[in-house]
Amino acid sequence: MSDAALLAIALLLCVISFGWLALAMDAHWRQVWSSEPPGRTTARWLRILGWMGLAASLALCLRVDHASMASLVWVMNLASAALIVAMVLAWTPRWLRLLVPGRRCS
Amino acid sequence: MFQNFRLTMTWLHTWFGLVLGFVLMVAFFFGALSVFDREFDRWGIPQTRFEAQPLPSFDTLLRPVFESIEPSRESIDEMRGRVHGPMPEHFDTVRAWTLYTTHRDPVMRLNAIYEVPNARDPDDDVFGSRTIDPRSGAVVPDNQLRIGSQFFFPLHYSLQLHWLDLGEWLVGLAALAMLVALVSGVVMHRKLFRELFTFRPDKQLQRSTLDLHNLSGVAALPFHFMFAFTGLVIMAGVYFPVAHVQLEPLHEYYEKLEEQQTGLPHDRAGVAAPLASVDAMVAEARQRWAQRGASGDVGLLIVRHVGDANGYVSVFRAGTDRIGLLGEGIHFKASTGEVLYEEPPSSAVGGVTDFLVGLHLQHFRHWTLRWLYVFGGLLGAVCIATGFIFFIEKRKRQHARQGVSGARVVSALAVTFVTGMVIATLSLLVANRVLPESLTTRELFEQSSFWGAWLLALMHAFWRTGPVAQGQRTSAWSEQCWIIAVMAVLAVVLNWITTGDHLLHTLAVGYWPVAGIDLALLTTAAVAVLAANHLRRRAASPRARGAGVSEGDPAVGVAHV
Repeated sequence: MSDAALLAIALLLCVISFGWLALAMDAHWRQVWSSEPPGRTTARWLRILGWMGLAASLALCLRVDHASMASLVWVMNLASAALIVAMVLAWTPRWLRLLVPGRRCS
Repeated sequence: MFQNFRLTMTWLHTWFGLVLGFVLMVAFFFGALSVFDREFDRWGIPQTRFEAQPLPSFDTLLRPVFESIEPSRESIDEMRGRVHGPMPEHFDTVRAWTLYTTHRDPVMRLNAIYEVPNARDPDDDVFGSRTIDPRSGAVVPDNQLRIGSQFFFPLHYSLQLHWLDLGEWLVGLAALAMLVALVSGVVMHRKLFRELFTFRPDKQLQRSTLDLHNLSGVAALPFHFMFAFTGLVIMAGVYFPVAHVQLEPLHEYYEKLEEQQTGLPHDRAGVAAPLASVDAMVAEARQRWAQRGASGDVGLLIVRHVGDANGYVSVFRAGTDRIGLLGEGIHFKASTGEVLYEEPPSSAVGGVTDFLVGLHLQHFRHWTLRWLYVFGGLLGAVCIATGFIFFIEKRKRQHARQGVSGARVVSALAVTFVTGMVIATLSLLVANRVLPESLTTRELFEQSSFWGAWLLALMHAFWRTGPVAQGQRTSAWSEQCWIIAVMAVLAVVLNWITTGDHLLHTLAVGYWPVAGIDLALLTTAAVAVLAANHLRRRAASPRARGAGVSEGDPAVGVAHV
């Protein structure tokens, strides 16, 4: 796969992972589903998935570039992803429903 | 003085942030533009709009140009008063020839440094330079303002205030204040992680501004911290000139020691010697880099003690694929071409310094990361701008009751340093395309258009922020947004008329330096229109909540440049 594609996936992974981390928080879960917060198990899984996704994103960055460059790309990806997730939550929170497929809306 | 630590931090954050925030605004915004300084240069000097070039032959092309350089009139004038007796007529002893280039430079600038025999300080020198088209060796006139690397970039770290290095000290102080603001901001913020993704645009202006302030500050916290810190590291020599003040003897001793270790002569021998083929040395250096698995673009070439038996040639690799700017220098004896010294891999401390300096100055080839830097810089600008708005919103009603003009003054300054700064930038671009190229004082007019437009924006801002003194909203934001929109489109159209390089053409041939800036200008215009419309709707709606919900946005738009 081309470097550009790998970097795009790395950014996407950061966005998805931050989405999961946000859903693990009660307030954001309510914003997205308009329902009671997730159970403790669900929240823990969302957190695990989120952190694993961020780690995978770093791995992708490291595959493309020298470690010194990759670490900077990853840190900047984190910043962009956090902002993207915050804006999605502000304007169209329902989009984050895509991140938990199979769950029915209440 | 205060009841608790958090209140102390709040006071610190508010007042240092406010006073030095205006300087920080300049540093962040023009820093973001400087990521593409070379591209602005291409936009402003149409004769140099061609692809970046590799290093041409030194022996046949560069050497004659180096030999034809003479010390510039300005550098000789500056030297007056620092010599014993009269100024020499000729400067025959060349201390060094240097050439620095990156993967984004189509033209190359060659520099020569000359000894001044009767200088009071023997280390003093005069210098000259020449810019060439490396494809032909033809000299390119060097009298035009390089908008990016000669104006925006120095503005970013010196505010173009050169008297007593005042600008550099102010920016350094502001960088320090930035570090303080970040730490105190984290202390003040009670729910850093719990509110990491929180932005509530439909709440009160004061609340949603604070959300945006926290979001833009926290999301890019590592970026803000690293750039303020590395900026200070880079400029440390200005703030602590110890090497040539308190520690001068130690510095001298170190140079002698270095000479012993590397075998690179510190002084001239006083015996004339010819210069062997530098092309052969460059080829040898490339071969040695290739053996270490590194690509071989030359970033910096220095010939020291030109024409002397002690002369040597240093070839440094451009850090195009690394964060560090340059590295793996290989030094050759100028008269024979034999390798004198090959630099070992940098030590841990040296490696960290290279990384810190390189990550800020970024001459690497990584377009994704460059754009992420622009984004980070603009996010910093948004963070500072929302800080201003929050300050105003929090106080304006109280100030109106008390008849104090504080909120109004800050409001006018905020408008000046957000939209006004963008207008000044656009005004420079427009002037660059309108002024005739034959005009000898062109550079002066271009810079005056920048400062003049900024001054006008300041006056407009003070004139139109009267309502803030009554606790009302001001129309200064939306009016300046409209000016931005018109001027940004005008700059793109003028570029088309004066050079023929319209977007369809530059995109078709893939000439990104110009296409990118045109696209960014159009994006800026679009964002400015959206922001202005948004402000008008807010003002018209019954539950109007005060001015400038999206003040940050124009800055974000220009960040795309």
